[in-house]
Amino acid sequence: MIDFSMYDVKAPEILGYKCLTCGALHYPAPMICSKCSSRRDPVTGKRWETFPLEGPVTLLTWTRVWNLPEGYNVKYLLFGIVEFENGLRASGRLGVDEPRTGMKLNTRVEESDERPGKPVNVFVFE
Amino acid sequence: MTARVGIVGVGHTRFGNSSEYDLADVMAYAATDALIDAGILEQRHEVDQVFVANMASGIFCHQTSVASSLVSRMDMEPVPAELIENGPASGASAVKVAYMAIASGMADVVLVVGGEIMRKLTGWEATDTVATMLHTEAEYNMGLTLPSFGGMFARLYMDKYGCTERDLALIAVKDHDNGALNQYAHVQGTCTIDAIHDNVTASVVNNYVAEPLRMYSTCPVTDGAAALVLVNMDSPKAALFKKKAVRIAGVGSATDTHCVHNRKDPLLLDAVRIAGEKAYKMAGIGPKDISFAELHDAFVILELAISEEVGFFDRGKSYLAVRKGETTIHGSLPINPSGGLKSKGHPVGATGVSQVVELVRQLRGEVEEGRQVRDPKYGMSVNFGGFGNNVVAIICAKD
Repeated sequence: MIDFSMYDVKAPEILGYKCLTCGALHYPAPMICSKCSSRRDPVTGKRWETFPLEGPVTLLTWTRVWNLPEGYNVKYLLFGIVEFENGLRASGRLGVDEPRTGMKLNTRVEESDERPGKPVNVFVFE
Repeated sequence: MTARVGIVGVGHTRFGNSSEYDLADVMAYAATDALIDAGILEQRHEVDQVFVANMASGIFCHQTSVASSLVSRMDMEPVPAELIENGPASGASAVKVAYMAIASGMADVVLVVGGEIMRKLTGWEATDTVATMLHTEAEYNMGLTLPSFGGMFARLYMDKYGCTERDLALIAVKDHDNGALNQYAHVQGTCTIDAIHDNVTASVVNNYVAEPLRMYSTCPVTDGAAALVLVNMDSPKAALFKKKAVRIAGVGSATDTHCVHNRKDPLLLDAVRIAGEKAYKMAGIGPKDISFAELHDAFVILELAISEEVGFFDRGKSYLAVRKGETTIHGSLPINPSGGLKSKGHPVGATGVSQVVELVRQLRGEVEEGRQVRDPKYGMSVNFGGFGNNVVAIICAKD
């Protein structure tokens, strides 16, 4: 017997949310649309659409963190806040070692298992 | 007319490392100090309500229901007791709720106790525990921590306004000067600008934590507890107390987006501004009336930003006031005369209560020699939850 589920591997992604009532974009998922107050049903997702957050971003600010929490076995990590071309913003890791505020970066999503619990998807802007 | 609410008792443990002790014991010690200060230790059953402020004892100490534990340890049953949790602003939230309980007529005497034992965990684990207040999917899972946001905020502020790392170091020097005189402070030593910035070896002593923030830009991980006795100043029970009450003149609080990246301008701390405006309005005063302030400097950059949001200085100008010494004990507006979170320490659930203890001690004129603010009339505290997403401001007055 072949267990097809073992081949069901998807590329990691992080989703943005679009309110189909008014078109407003959100990240992370809201319960109520900030523009038109439409309710999101997290089970059925009715009248809402999801889309992968990807593509070019602009770096708004950044830091290099040397005192990482339990579980991170590296000397430091770089983090930043970025803005996507659709206007949404996100926080995530940086994959460049000499960042500059205002620089253009691209989005990659990878799986991380540093913190307790199941692995999670994280942004790496590089 | 709303009842006038005053503070008639204060208690405080020495902040530092209490990790060998039980959280309820440490909190009960501060609470007992407050009852003694209020002169009602034997009459403690006159207390109508106990509110306990704590952020995360379930993780830090593997201990829950600390309000019940505290009351029993102090032989105060059947006084009602509940826990108030609002992250690092739990303390000021508990004071706010105590105020509301008295103003509503449900209680005349309320004991507020804030405490946290963080050092049972390693520094890495403590940083991770505090980070659980961030947005789980969009912040915590990324590996972000509170120092990360402090660093990113500091970079925005410094780039926009021209504030330097030396300016941040000057705040640390000022806070440690104050803390060294505070018997309750975690860090009792002073530091010099030469040692932590100007000298060629300074970057070894004062290494980066979250660039551009360094060790001396960041508060230590601290254990401790603080307590207050609040009374309805217009009730018959007010006669129980011999010390003159320090009146709570204003309380304001507000929230902001959970995710920092969702703020229209990540450099604005709207919840701080709104909480301050509400507190001023309730007190019927403005920023110019404040004699001194205890501001939530978990990262020294926040002392600057908060002082601007509550109207002490124009936006982007507060670091110039620091350069001129205006925020020292003997300056025109002393900020963090206790040493602030930077020197006194930041046991997260205790901090908001500890800030108000300092307001009361300063307004009573009973702090240690060398750090008494001259003739204070109004003191203000700002307790900052999350990275500015849940903030409480309190103004106390000497009538």
